Amino acid sequence: MLKETAAAELTALLARVAARDREAFAVVYRSTSAKLWGIILRILPRRDVAEDVLQDVYVRIWERAGSFDPAKASPITWMASIARHRAIDEIRRRRLVSIEETPEALEVAESGADPLESAEQSEDLRRLNECLEGLEPERREMILLAYYSGLSRDELAQRFSHPVNTIKTWLHRSLAQLRKCLGS
Amino acid sequence: MTDEQDIDMLAAEYVLGTLPADERAAVALRARHDEPLAAAIAAWEWRLAPLNETIVPRDVPAHVWARIEARLHRIGDAPGAAVTSLVGMERRLRRWRAAAVAATAIAASLVLFVGFRELTRPEPEKTLVAVLQKDAQSPAFLVSVDLEQKLLTIRVVAAPPHPGKSYELWLVHDDLKSPRSLGVIGEGPFTVVQPKLAAYAPQTIEQATLAVSLEPEGGSPTGAPTGPVLYAGKLIQATE
Repeated sequence: MLKETAAAELTALLARVAARDREAFAVVYRSTSAKLWGIILRILPRRDVAEDVLQDVYVRIWERAGSFDPAKASPITWMASIARHRAIDEIRRRRLVSIEETPEALEVAESGADPLESAEQSEDLRRLNECLEGLEPERREMILLAYYSGLSRDELAQRFSHPVNTIKTWLHRSLAQLRKCLGS
Repeated sequence: MTDEQDIDMLAAEYVLGTLPADERAAVALRARHDEPLAAAIAAWEWRLAPLNETIVPRDVPAHVWARIEARLHRIGDAPGAAVTSLVGMERRLRRWRAAAVAATAIAASLVLFVGFRELTRPEPEKTLVAVLQKDAQSPAFLVSVDLEQKLLTIRVVAAPPHPGKSYELWLVHDDLKSPRSLGVIGEGPFTVVQPKLAAYAPQTIEQATLAVSLEPEGGSPTGAPTGPVLYAGKLIQATE
């Protein structure tokens, strides 16, 4: 799966996809779709909706492979970003009123893997975890719920029973602290 | 807070995913031409990306690949010409007029209303609506789109008139290389757009951001937005 398909190999495949090589695209799909599907399902538990989003994501990867720049991002980060942004756009469009309508979203969030318990950690993940541990537990949970499950400021405010402006302030402080800790 | 810090927090929250829908759409739009913002977004994607390692891969249903392949085959096909009878157009306009009569005050409740209807009706609908605004307090235009007929109606709510200038409506989508003009918004309370919308796939329209820029009278001379983008919004599903 992903681990076996090294970044360099995936970059080479994306270059072939940019040249409209459908065989290369099929290999990209086989080696990355389970991961992107995992990312999308965490944000969009409704499978019919999530399937449409996954289709969109790969159509975009096909169309935009030419704009992928290996100097700026790893290929899997580039693809995961397309998947996350597309899934979050969809959940924002669907949750305009209230998350009460989709309680399963929170259950998925609660059963989600804790990054600190992840068995095999890359050096980057280990560093990020150290910085996340520097946050107060509640604020760390907010960041993780937002990243993994796509909760908005309003939804975090409901869930943690704080005014939305407080949530915004805390998010900004947490993110600034993370950035400082990561030293970049 | 400095501008640089503002941009960094906007990018951080955009990547984290916590921004409200309208701010999110505005950031995505701005990042297309705002190099520092685009760079800040890329930096935050890179910072948070290690979290993706912890997400467990899941088995993708087998039919998804076939559907993706089918969509790739369709890309580049000429869009089907949408033909609408004048009677049908007028009927739709009347219905829209009746639904959107009370302007500003209605705009906010409209979003709640259609949002609610959408959640209570899982079936996909063919009518989309959008409120184009600067912020949640100042809706400027209401848009409704009949996807089947590829018919867009835009209604002025509270956009101030600018003598000697024109408002121009743009369709913005990641899959399109640049914003596409849907035409100049007329002086009257309603403007109807149809032929220009027929060139785009329903899926593209559904996911697009609609933006309004202020242009020289008669519209942008270059085919791309030349003036400031004043209002933007995303389409959401409504019912007929």
